[in-house]
Amino acid sequence: MSNEHHITPLRTYLIIAGSLLFLTGVTVWVSFIDLGSFNIILAMAVATLKASLVVLFFMHLLWDDKKNLVVFVMSLMFLGIFITFTLLDTGFRGGINPEVKNSINSKASFYDNLPLTDTHGNPVDSHDNHHEDKDDSHH
Amino acid sequence: MSHNSSSPDFLHHHFHDVDQQYQTSKFGMWAFILTEVLTFGGLFVAYTVYRSWYPEMFYDAHLLLDVNKGMLNTIVLISSSLTMALAIWAIQKKNKKLSLWMLVITWILALGFLGIKYLEYSHKFEVGQLPGIFYSYMGPEVVNIDNPHIFFGIYFIMTGLHGLHVAIGMGLIAWLIYLTKKDKLHSDYYTPMETVGIFWHLVDLIWIYLFPLFYLIG
Repeated sequence: MSNEHHITPLRTYLIIAGSLLFLTGVTVWVSFIDLGSFNIILAMAVATLKASLVVLFFMHLLWDDKKNLVVFVMSLMFLGIFITFTLLDTGFRGGINPEVKNSINSKASFYDNLPLTDTHGNPVDSHDNHHEDKDDSHH
Repeated sequence: MSHNSSSPDFLHHHFHDVDQQYQTSKFGMWAFILTEVLTFGGLFVAYTVYRSWYPEMFYDAHLLLDVNKGMLNTIVLISSSLTMALAIWAIQKKNKKLSLWMLVITWILALGFLGIKYLEYSHKFEVGQLPGIFYSYMGPEVVNIDNPHIFFGIYFIMTGLHGLHVAIGMGLIAWLIYLTKKDKLHSDYYTPMETVGIFWHLVDLIWIYLFPLFYLIG
């Protein structure tokens, strides 16, 4: 290892930042196209591509001592185990005991006492709805 | 006393040489990044579990978020990541003035991010789109949705913890500005800028996932 650190060329930084902004546009654009369950896969693929660019170039992992890359990849592996094994439980609860699934999917009881509101969050009585609209138009 | 009289003043006594000190600091930072990934990881697990339980509710509730503000914040944070990287590039190239400017711009962009976040949060507080039992919004968009308070609980915890990281990052960047101005950082020793940079890019990295997961549910 030498004392001279790798200096990333300015051009590289600008290209990476440009790519990140472009991919942000792509991910917003495709989110408005209905692709069914493929939407989430595509969104995560683009996010992972962006994250890889940030990690490799902005965080300098591409030229860095590889032990730092190992530490980072380890964290992702443990995150993968964390998500997979949790979903193995939560994803199949209803299959073993349908009652458990039903209680999870029921509406929380505090909603029973909540009044309906307008789009500003102010409570409305469904009969006064028309009246309130009139009041608004005076402002 | 392994150091001879020519060892630089920024080399701490417990390191053998400058390179070992630099590599140790970076390795320590990456170990911290690992703990950060797992901290946010727990929240990403919560998100995944609840979204798999309530796919329709997540879709309907996400329509209440402001995509434009989310996209603007993404652009702000990517730009600040670039200026942070350029601050390191400039100090490597012995350009102190440019490095200072890049740090100041990074700090201002971070403030801008929190400002936009404040606008979003204050609107949600006003209309009652809040976590758990604090939820009170029953507008026309949600009357047929079950349990939107769960979406907002996860939204506030994840973006809130992320926002806290942005605020801490601002403190660290201000510290870098001070150190650079006082010539404590230069082309031979800029380790604090390198490690804070890694932290700052992690903040960007997490937002890269938060943005599509909350604002762009397809």
